[in-house]
Amino acid sequence: MCPAILESQTNTATSSVLSLQNVCKTYGDFTAVDEISLSIPRGSIYGFLGPNGAGKTTTIRMILEIIKPSSGTISILGHASALDVRNRIGYLPEEKGLYKKMKVWALIQYFAMLKGMSKQSAKRQAWYLLEKYGLKDFAEAKVESLSKGMGQKVQVLSAVAHEPELVILDEPFSGLDPVNQSVLEELITDMAENGQTVIFSTHVMQHAERLCDHILLIAKGRKIFDGTVNEAKATIPRRVMLESLDDVAALGSIAGVTEVIQIDSMDPAVASSGQWQLQISEQLNPQDILRSCFERNIALSRFEFTEPSLHDVFVHLVGDEAKEHAFR
Amino acid sequence: MNMVRLIAWREYMENVKTKGFWAGILIFPIIFTAMYFLQTTLANSTPTRYYVFIDQSGEYSSAVETAIERDHQRRVLEEFVSYLMENRKETDLNLTAAGQTNPADQLIDSADADEVAALEQWLESGGLDFALTMASPALKDDRPPFEQPARQFIPADLPAGIDSSAAPTEIAQALRPYLNGERKILVDSKPSELFALILIPADVNEDISRPGAMPQAGGGPAGIQYWARNLTDTRLPDAIISSINSQIRNREYIDLGVDNQIVRNVQRTRMPISQLDPTAAQGEEQVSVADTFRQLAPIGFVYLMFISLMQSVQYLLSNTIEEKSNRIIEVLLASVTAGELMMGKLLGIGMSALTTIAVWLLSFFLFITLYRSSQTELISQILDVILGSELIPWFVFYYFAGYALYSGMFLAIGSLCNTLKEAQAMMMPMIMIQVIPLAMMVFVVRDPHNTIVRAMSWFPLFTPYLMMNRAAADPPLIDVVGTTIVLLLSIVFVLWLSGKVFRMGVLRTGQPPKLLELLRSLRQGD
Repeated sequence: MCPAILESQTNTATSSVLSLQNVCKTYGDFTAVDEISLSIPRGSIYGFLGPNGAGKTTTIRMILEIIKPSSGTISILGHASALDVRNRIGYLPEEKGLYKKMKVWALIQYFAMLKGMSKQSAKRQAWYLLEKYGLKDFAEAKVESLSKGMGQKVQVLSAVAHEPELVILDEPFSGLDPVNQSVLEELITDMAENGQTVIFSTHVMQHAERLCDHILLIAKGRKIFDGTVNEAKATIPRRVMLESLDDVAALGSIAGVTEVIQIDSMDPAVASSGQWQLQISEQLNPQDILRSCFERNIALSRFEFTEPSLHDVFVHLVGDEAKEHAFR
Repeated sequence: MNMVRLIAWREYMENVKTKGFWAGILIFPIIFTAMYFLQTTLANSTPTRYYVFIDQSGEYSSAVETAIERDHQRRVLEEFVSYLMENRKETDLNLTAAGQTNPADQLIDSADADEVAALEQWLESGGLDFALTMASPALKDDRPPFEQPARQFIPADLPAGIDSSAAPTEIAQALRPYLNGERKILVDSKPSELFALILIPADVNEDISRPGAMPQAGGGPAGIQYWARNLTDTRLPDAIISSINSQIRNREYIDLGVDNQIVRNVQRTRMPISQLDPTAAQGEEQVSVADTFRQLAPIGFVYLMFISLMQSVQYLLSNTIEEKSNRIIEVLLASVTAGELMMGKLLGIGMSALTTIAVWLLSFFLFITLYRSSQTELISQILDVILGSELIPWFVFYYFAGYALYSGMFLAIGSLCNTLKEAQAMMMPMIMIQVIPLAMMVFVVRDPHNTIVRAMSWFPLFTPYLMMNRAAADPPLIDVVGTTIVLLLSIVFVLWLSGKVFRMGVLRTGQPPKLLELLRSLRQGD
């Protein structure tokens, strides 16, 4: 292999598949997306998280150039416009819909052909995918006879049948039962292993937590957070929950314990619930707290350390905005 | 271009695969065929009608019998003429009256020109037997035998117990239950319905009215009494009264000392009129039946264009709205540009429309080929003339131009709406615009160079219809070239604008935008 090609390959491998710079979208006075910048590395699974109406779908539509941004620049697969590389992108929109009268395999074939596949290979790929993801028996059925969940699986397959380098799935898990959710998770990991980059939006944090390398958290059109899942978790303090009738305030003196909070009792008859929350720094090993408790003769009836979940992060970062949005 | 073709093909196949598409297409020829046969069958299957005839004056019984016989003979003549048309050896519609050669053609021509004279001639020359002998050399050898139509009016005997010499009011009173259908009369000992009573009172001649005389005042029915429940089938009273009138007139001629044979000959004197076309080559100016049809053909084309456009529009709207309400449009727009999508749809639906026209024409040809009769023979000859004329290229051009113009607009409407109901409200004005040239069709054929018509032809939405309508009349070159340029420019503009509206509309949700809002978004270039 000549060095030039090798070099260019290394370049693409390290460079980002998609980058947004200060992208805005306004509709009249309303700002749907406000100054979003991000960069998505090749081969990653990237989650767009945010409450309803946060601007996830608008951002995705701008990435695909279905709508044009009001300002800012987008670079996708090394091009300024998604239209130039549309055959290398796969897209599942938020609102799912298919041609009702078409046969399942023909539908997947059609969408693959729209992405530039030949008729024969599109057909072969449709049958291969239907078999692989457990839909072979429905291949000859008409789309209208499928259940909602099944239809959605078919739509996901039709979005990725042409093996795109970049897959964008808008709310792919909504409406799927737990079994099919894990089939979809499997499909996403398969694609990532295959070297494809997957972006998906969701407001169900468990999926993002299980799948994503990186997440983008947006609310009200603004970027709240952008980084790895671990970085996200680091944005909220780690906590240790204690239950003890003794006074545990002294634990505050341990290096790395930032705050000791007594949780008020729900029952006014009892003076103290004996529930305590300790916020600890990233560096502190929770075992050290346990050890200190023994040393100080604090009798514990409960000791609980939980890593913060992405759900906690979400609520912590955008909880208020999401609530506000819900009642707007 | 590949994508456009792919989208068009899917759109087309999706239409063509549905049962509704074929039902919609085939309903037309089926209804047409059914109507054709129903009409023929109905005409031949009018039941035999029995009438009671009482002539108290004793003067008119032969006139009434003649009248009914003539009515029958007229039907025989009609049947015979169509039998001739079906079975004559060679048929050439371009023949004009001057070029008649064989007796069959002569009979056909005289039957076309003057039915009364032809009937007289027919009766005088000996009717069917004579005509068959005369015409047989001009007829095909393998023709089927001629079948006479059944008699439609047959006299019945007065029911027993009714005195034919009683006063007219009494007779009418006695026959009332029969005429009302409450009782049946016996014909060959079978109970049958009595259709009519023809009652000529003894003093009927007193009621004859002459010019100059004051109409007689007085109660009660005057003249011949025709009693029948059926008020619409007037063949019987018409035949009777014209026969009796001619007998009365003959009598008056005789009273005046005029030879009635001379009068009859004078009455049958007529002047032919030759229609000549100044635009035809010298020696071919005689206007034939086919020429007349060539002039009228644009009406058919305009109508076909309207029906076909309306049908395409339905498909365009429902498909676009399906994709829009299903949000499939978003997937499509991630794969193809709005322009490609729009062109694909226009092409696909256009192919569906052409399929419809093709099926209609095919079934029409099948019908006139498989079912040969005098009428279909005529139609196929007219078609030959029309297909050979310069109207076809015009039709093809205006059809496609009209399609591009209207479907572009309807597609834009479809893209702005979420439900068919919304779309229907918005397309109403568009349909009304098309109804205007449609309503003018017949007028335009009669006066194709009318100033108003010429001016209206320049309005691009009317151009395809009106210019097609005028095509047979060789419109001035300035009209043809000018309107074509305006039309083509409008198509480009409409498709460009529709593309913009389409791109903006397809991703919209909620209510269709107000016009101002639409203009604003278009300016923003969304």
